[in-house]
Amino acid sequence: MKSLDPRVNRLPEVGQKGMINPKAPLDQFGTFEVFVQPKEGKPFQHEGVVHAPNLELAYVLAKETFTRRFTCTSLYVVDTRSVYVSPMTDGDQNVFELLPDSNNPDDEQISFELYQLAKRGKQHIHLTTIQAASAADAMSKAKQTADKTKVIYNLWAIPTNAIRFTTAEERDLWVTLPEKKFRDAANYKGGDKLKEFLERAK
Amino acid sequence: MYGGGNTFEGIKTDSLAQEDPVMLAAFEARIDRGEKIEPTDWMPQLYRKQLIRMIEQHAHSEIIGALPEGTWITRAPGFKRKLALMAKVQDEVGHAQLLYSAAETLGKTREEMIHDLITGKSKYSNIFNYPAFTWADSCFISWLVDAGAIVNQLANAKGSYGPYCRALERICAEESFHLKYGHHCVIYLAAGSAIQRKMFQEAIDRWWPPMMHFFGPADKISAHTQVLMKWKVKMATNDDMRNQFLDMYVPKIWELGFTIPDPALKKNAETGRWDYTEPDWEEFKRVINGDGPCNKERLEVRRVAEERGRWVREALKTPKNTYVAPLA
Repeated sequence: MKSLDPRVNRLPEVGQKGMINPKAPLDQFGTFEVFVQPKEGKPFQHEGVVHAPNLELAYVLAKETFTRRFTCTSLYVVDTRSVYVSPMTDGDQNVFELLPDSNNPDDEQISFELYQLAKRGKQHIHLTTIQAASAADAMSKAKQTADKTKVIYNLWAIPTNAIRFTTAEERDLWVTLPEKKFRDAANYKGGDKLKEFLERAK
Repeated sequence: MYGGGNTFEGIKTDSLAQEDPVMLAAFEARIDRGEKIEPTDWMPQLYRKQLIRMIEQHAHSEIIGALPEGTWITRAPGFKRKLALMAKVQDEVGHAQLLYSAAETLGKTREEMIHDLITGKSKYSNIFNYPAFTWADSCFISWLVDAGAIVNQLANAKGSYGPYCRALERICAEESFHLKYGHHCVIYLAAGSAIQRKMFQEAIDRWWPPMMHFFGPADKISAHTQVLMKWKVKMATNDDMRNQFLDMYVPKIWELGFTIPDPALKKNAETGRWDYTEPDWEEFKRVINGDGPCNKERLEVRRVAEERGRWVREALKTPKNTYVAPLA
């Protein structure tokens, strides 16, 4: 193949040209949900997913995919399979109405992160951290203290111990972000050059 | 941001016949109320199918679109341009990641999509089947192809599918610098030497026909899209988007003293819309079906990347780590 791109011309011969071996279904990496805290004091919010072979690599990929552009103070990832999801409601039906009351089981209590969807089409936002016997129980407990005047459409409960958090030493990962002016639209002011050119062209 | 010019499958009139009429009515009522559809909601098969197709094409366009611009990173004029172009190309590849995830929520896995791209089954924006001969071509892409994509994406961001809207909102926010960077590059060529001006003029001459193709076939010949507009999958017709692009950018190109290779191009004072020579839709069809100057090269680059990465993916695979569809 003759390309204008010298790197394409240097591509090694791999496999059979134009042929690709089919993949077995699900021959791919696992899925991890990514949560970002955009500013100090703001709640974490869901940003999307990455696919990775493990939690640690998921964290690295999430940092590159979701926090290379805008301010970020902290980030965490969790295996999608660890997220317990409530039913989704619509109109003015509050998801809390569908949840049973907590029967306050005596089982061992662990910590859960609760996320809520306050508007369809928007992101899930961190609601609270709660001690409960199970993810379902965490949702029921959240129901007791929820503001019933506000409609919530969906809840997620994540066991806190399943999350890969940002450590204290890693918090400086994002301190250089504001210095990267080449990613900033305001860094590309062509107005003066254009004006000067138009004057000259007259 | 590189999407645009989606091709939809022809819709058969009976494709809604097997849907549950009660569910369908509730689904349409939700869209009419302006509520977003989320992955766990009921949706007609046709909605799911066409959305997967559209979002997947958009994702592939970001990946493939990074190739003609990426070519110029090593040869960009000066350190600042190199930094900017690298950041831009990285953004585009990042956008593909967001879009693939949005499509995955509808039930098609990431690897199925990659497979369909490299086997030629899925399409991507046709404009990237043309080569970037000079630095000026790369500037044309950064400024005007991105501008065209922005027209398309701003419309789609108001669509009905939640995960796609969230991805597009993020993409549009990240994009703000691409367009400014592209315009900045072009102003510097325009205000530069006679050779620089000639370079950009030649880039316009090369890229204008594919740019007119970019928004997809004319409304009068494109597949029946009424139901897609009702469901807010498609938010504006191809001709409307083409016209909006011409409205915003033809004056800016003329302002810089360049000409556009279409003698019929002018704004019609009566209709308020642009008149232009009808783009060659036979060429569009020929190229999108595989017979363009760069189709083979683009797919070969992806195929080689896939093959070379295979041993890494296999070495990292463990039984504990299993793919599931994203939540939102």
